[in-house]
Amino acid sequence: MAGFLQQLVEGLGAGAVYASLALALVLIYQFTGIVNFAQGEMAMFSTYIAWQFTVAGLPFWLALVLTLAVSFAGGMLIERIVIRPVEGAPELTVVIVTVGLFIFVNAAAGWIWTFLIKDFPNPFPGGAVEAGGLSVGYSTLGVLAVVAVVMGLLYLLFQHTKVGLGMRAVAANPDSARLVGIRVGWMLALGWGLAATVGAVSGILVAPLLFLEPNMMGGVLIYAFAAATLGGFDSPAGAVAGGLTVGVAETLAGAYVGFIGSDLKVGVPLAIILFVLLLRPQGLFGRAVVERV
Amino acid sequence: MSTDSFLTISDLSAGYGDARVLHGVNLSVGRGEICAILGPNGAGKTTLLRALSGAVWTRGSVRLDGAGLARRSPDAIARRGVAHVPEGRGTFMPLTVEENLRLGAFTRRGRGEVEADLDRIHGYFPVLKTRLRQVAGSLSGGEQQMLAIGRALMSRPRLLLLDEPSLGLAPLVTRELFRIVRTINEQERTTVVVVEQNAHLALDIAQQAHVLESGRIVLSGSADEIRADEQVAQSYLGYRV
Repeated sequence: MAGFLQQLVEGLGAGAVYASLALALVLIYQFTGIVNFAQGEMAMFSTYIAWQFTVAGLPFWLALVLTLAVSFAGGMLIERIVIRPVEGAPELTVVIVTVGLFIFVNAAAGWIWTFLIKDFPNPFPGGAVEAGGLSVGYSTLGVLAVVAVVMGLLYLLFQHTKVGLGMRAVAANPDSARLVGIRVGWMLALGWGLAATVGAVSGILVAPLLFLEPNMMGGVLIYAFAAATLGGFDSPAGAVAGGLTVGVAETLAGAYVGFIGSDLKVGVPLAIILFVLLLRPQGLFGRAVVERV
Repeated sequence: MSTDSFLTISDLSAGYGDARVLHGVNLSVGRGEICAILGPNGAGKTTLLRALSGAVWTRGSVRLDGAGLARRSPDAIARRGVAHVPEGRGTFMPLTVEENLRLGAFTRRGRGEVEADLDRIHGYFPVLKTRLRQVAGSLSGGEQQMLAIGRALMSRPRLLLLDEPSLGLAPLVTRELFRIVRTINEQERTTVVVVEQNAHLALDIAQQAHVLESGRIVLSGSADEIRADEQVAQSYLGYRV
């Protein structure tokens, strides 16, 4: 039993990381209907910026704040420069543009920082809390706490501020949002900025667990897609619930299903994506899109 | 024509892409007046309102109290005091009634005034007050139309554009709605341009009316003159004079 609980906690820790990247995906999808394939690479790039700040001798938390600010601005710039020209274009065009962005950001990071792996400092102390035969690492607790804080801040932004209300109005009905005087273009840019910021958090959470290198987010992106698909691509709370579920499912499957082990774990999110799309395409918390003719 | 023209439209053409829908429309609306736009389906009535709120391409000039509106973006025109209640109401379905109303005041500052205006809207539409926490998508058609008009009023508009407010509503609900529009116009001196299939209702509350056919104004006059016109009577009122 203790062993099972132990796996559960590990799964939640991993799931929180997936949840944060899934949250970034959902933020952009909600406002623009775009699935941003470059979300993971943008997060990786942000993590390199954080690394650069720490290498320059800044304390970790200051480096974090600066990185989030740079990521926010970078996300807005990407929307204005790369995405704006294809606004309203067919879905496939937009998908290709985000895939192009993926390749560009990945190559740019390799060009600037090389493909050699780098150590990324862990902001949380080593060691663990021991209780009732259970050992929960500080870094697991830290990751869960950070994701909870991000969730809480986003909730406050969307439910209790005027800008948040404006952003939700744009997501619900962009034409009407224009008619009440909202600058829709800026709200979309703001959405990309927020998503880039949340993505940066996930990159910074991932880097100490893996190593910092340009391809580090590739695997995480697949888990994040599974999380967002499971929770519903238009539901931020669903993305988080989906992320935690995917993390737990993956860990338990690796531990208890003999033939999966640690080698086939990456098959778990893919199986989740497949089954959700077959059985409930809108995800657990998503709204089914009904086209009225 | 009124001597004090508040909204002046001169030689206005508008359309979508290559398709030109309006061909040189001229009309003016006096301050505090209700102006009805009548005409058959496809005449360009909705396009005229969309041209006023900047949602389609336009050529020509639109002046509101002397200031040019043409070729500004919809959000910029909204910030200049034009509130457009579009065909199909355009409510924010997943948001609550209260959030919809507050969005109407999005561009305004001054919290106290916004709260006072919420009370004012509840006065016009008491049913909305009982539904504040519900999502707009759960309202009936009539309630949604009230919400859409209430949202428009939250911006304290100088010009209110109503597109087919009666669409899909029961006759009694429609009558109530038009009574409220007239009350709003009388109490707040809001200038109103209303596009309406139901010519009887529109002429009952309007001072001026214009008949649009194939993108051109073919007849203009006071509501009484238009009502008395034989051609209009045959085409839109369903009887001969």
